[in-house]
Amino acid sequence: MSNNRKVKDVIVKTAADLFTPIALVLGFYIILHGHLSPGGGFQGGVLVASAVILIYLGYGYSEVSKRFNMEFIKKNEALGAILFTVFGLAGILYGSVFFTNVFVGIGNVGDLISSGTIMFMNDSVGYKVLTGVGFLILLMIGLLAPDNEN
Amino acid sequence: MQHYPILSIVTLFLGAFLTVIFGSKNETVRKFIALVASSISLILVLMLIKPVMIENNVIQYWMGNWRPIHDWAIGIGLEVDSLGLFFGIIAVVTIFLSIVFSFRYTEKDSETDKYYVLFLMLSGSVLGLVFTGDLFNMFVMIEIMTFAAVGLTAFRNYQEGALEAALKYLVLGSIGSSLVLAGTITIYSQVHTLNMAQISALLFNNLTPSTLFAFALLLAGYSLKAFVVPFHPAAPDAYMSAPSSISMAFSGMVNKAGVYAIIRLVYVLYHAMSFKSIQLLLIIIGTITMFVGVTMALAQNDFKRLLAFHSISQIGYVITAVGVSTALGLTAGLYHALNHTLFKGLLFLTAGAVFYATGTTDLNKLGGLAKKMPQTAAVFLIGAFSISGLPPFNGFVSKWLVYQATYQANLAPVTIVALLVSVMTLASFIKVAQSIFFGQMPKEFENVKEVPLSMRIPMWIMAILCVLTGIFPNFVTKYLISPAVSAALNVGKYIDIMMGNGYAEKILGKPVEIPAVDYVLAGYWNPVAWLVLFALLLLAVTIVAVAGGFNTASLPVDGDDSKYEVFFGGEANEYSHVKGNDLFWGLKYDLRHYFGFMHDAHSGIINDYALWAIFTTTIFIVYIFLLVP
Amino acid sequence: MILVNYIACIILIVLGFYVILTKKNILKIIIGMGLVDYGINLLIISIGFNPGGTAPIFTFSELRPESFFVDPVPQALTLTSIVIGACVTAMALSLVIKIKEKYGTLDADKVRRLNG
Repeated sequence: MSNNRKVKDVIVKTAADLFTPIALVLGFYIILHGHLSPGGGFQGGVLVASAVILIYLGYGYSEVSKRFNMEFIKKNEALGAILFTVFGLAGILYGSVFFTNVFVGIGNVGDLISSGTIMFMNDSVGYKVLTGVGFLILLMIGLLAPDNEN
Repeated sequence: MQHYPILSIVTLFLGAFLTVIFGSKNETVRKFIALVASSISLILVLMLIKPVMIENNVIQYWMGNWRPIHDWAIGIGLEVDSLGLFFGIIAVVTIFLSIVFSFRYTEKDSETDKYYVLFLMLSGSVLGLVFTGDLFNMFVMIEIMTFAAVGLTAFRNYQEGALEAALKYLVLGSIGSSLVLAGTITIYSQVHTLNMAQISALLFNNLTPSTLFAFALLLAGYSLKAFVVPFHPAAPDAYMSAPSSISMAFSGMVNKAGVYAIIRLVYVLYHAMSFKSIQLLLIIIGTITMFVGVTMALAQNDFKRLLAFHSISQIGYVITAVGVSTALGLTAGLYHALNHTLFKGLLFLTAGAVFYATGTTDLNKLGGLAKKMPQTAAVFLIGAFSISGLPPFNGFVSKWLVYQATYQANLAPVTIVALLVSVMTLASFIKVAQSIFFGQMPKEFENVKEVPLSMRIPMWIMAILCVLTGIFPNFVTKYLISPAVSAALNVGKYIDIMMGNGYAEKILGKPVEIPAVDYVLAGYWNPVAWLVLFALLLLAVTIVAVAGGFNTASLPVDGDDSKYEVFFGGEANEYSHVKGNDLFWGLKYDLRHYFGFMHDAHSGIINDYALWAIFTTTIFIVYIFLLVP
Repeated sequence: MILVNYIACIILIVLGFYVILTKKNILKIIIGMGLVDYGINLLIISIGFNPGGTAPIFTFSELRPESFFVDPVPQALTLTSIVIGACVTAMALSLVIKIKEKYGTLDADKVRRLNG
């Protein structure tokens, strides 16, 4: 296994090319429609983050480490968490209690923007999960990387 | 005021996330964020004392305004009563002092941004656990707590055993969480609600085999989080390998979170204290915990590991007193929980100071540090006297209450064990004091300096609190303990506030009676008399010393006379420090079978520890099924 | 039908505990923790199941007066529990990688420097 790591497998690479966009689109769809249909921030976020694994399988660690900036991803994960908290606190600012759904009544039932802050909370969870799980995967790949190159 | 509990939780979590974004480069920024977050949280919780503790309100808070519909709870609620707030105060004080201590303490570590992130998350989760009114929320919070604690245990991963301790903590903690989750969901399958107030109402006089099974699982799971004895072996490893400020947080609030959950479970959720058998179960595990903890501590050679076993032992006192279930017993338990946080936090901080100054906590390598670190030695002595239960320090008050509560409940054997444990605690702290602060100083510690001011301030605050809670037990009991005790016993009010007035009466059939707290002879000795006695003794000793009674020059020691020197193998030994190992070797030799057995039992293998946990859970289940009607 | 679920989740939990108690490889112990987790997740989702119930989601046109939901609360709980389980596994695996680097072995009998 370790001998032919240099030559990338064409099938794996093609499959990675093919499935990465699908994973990304499906993941973002599920995050955005989390408040309307089954799924939500976590499920979609994990789907998006699985794209990292696909890229790793297709192109190896060197390519992955070139494309992603770990520090940037880490900060964005915290940003997702902060956004979630801020949307929760919006309830207190609007005179009610924490996690109250404010801005309700915009749009028709079933539309994308129809549910007040709950959609944004869902999206920030999705953002946090996609960056968080992506960071986790990158970290683990990074820990295992020296083994692959030897 | 209504928003204070949720804001105090959210501030800590927000601080954790902000530290990730802004604190990764700059040390000052992350210290600033941690300090601000913890002090805001401290102030918010302390401002709750007046309405909750003194005016005896209960704060209820439905997240997202999802109030109960048709008397059925559908949302997640926070409910802060005096019991929760009592543990909340313990937690925020620990958090604040620990953060202040860690500013200088962690300066030699790299990547302290992760330290503050994890610590703030740990703090937020503990506060969330004690303020929540939702059973599943408790599980989530206890899981976040376990994560952050595992991460912090492995923080100094260059240290011997830190990774291993973290893994053990994680495996055992995950078994505990699984038990808690299974118990929670079994209750849900029976009563179809997760709100604790409503569960409490629905389970009153309504125990089915399923709910009893859930009770056993929850009790085992939360006991694991409180490190009661058969579940304890991950605790000493974790306490020992974590940084000292974290060990303080572990014994100050992570342990207490488990104790809080047990009290909430047996008193509020299940009204279980009317069953003699459950009282007996708690007393038995509490007594075993305090005895095993202290005997293991006697045999340790590492300062922090020894403190960890003492921490387990003191939790045994709390559990025993809580199991006695009279108002006096509960008072004793809560008082001891408070005192344990103070003196054990103080002792862990001194361990941290010793580590900061010398780089080791091994009792056999240290010695004579009192000359170099006089303030650390002084606060260590205050902590050691407190934990050993010497008057006028706080340990005396709460231990006295424990003795009295157990004795009045016709449990004289337990009282004797508690006294014995107290004596052994004192013995092992004599060993610590002798090995670290007194005796001969090894040569390599000649350049040791006192720790910086920002590390001494938290230690002194804790030491002063130790003395104050010992001298003014009446005030502490009146303003902190009694409200918490009556909140734990007054289940009807807890239910009414959350579910609407009259709900408890409708379900329970009648208002639950609150037993009057009887404080006759409740250990309230006159502290002024003791102070006068100590002052007189001090005066006497001083007069004798000044008058030349202790004149060492009059002793027949001559510089040239070699017969008073220590010989080793026929030659004069210039270095003859009595090491930690050497004290009490006679006791250890006489009881070598017991100590050998206990040493072998703590084998360090994860499988064995998991076996203990699962086996004890099985015993809990069988016991509760056989003996609870 | 629902009985099969309960039997399966008991089997999963017992197998998980068996693995934790008897296997000496730390990686297998973590797999055991995962098994316990899955068993409990299955238990939760089975508790909330109503035979014949529809998904607890607001939909147009599919709702008829006689249709009823499965209990949505356990599903939310399961999701939380899955997330927590994933985090536990990730954390344990990262610890295992570090332990392998430091101790050179994954044998639980040899990873016991802290004892007594």
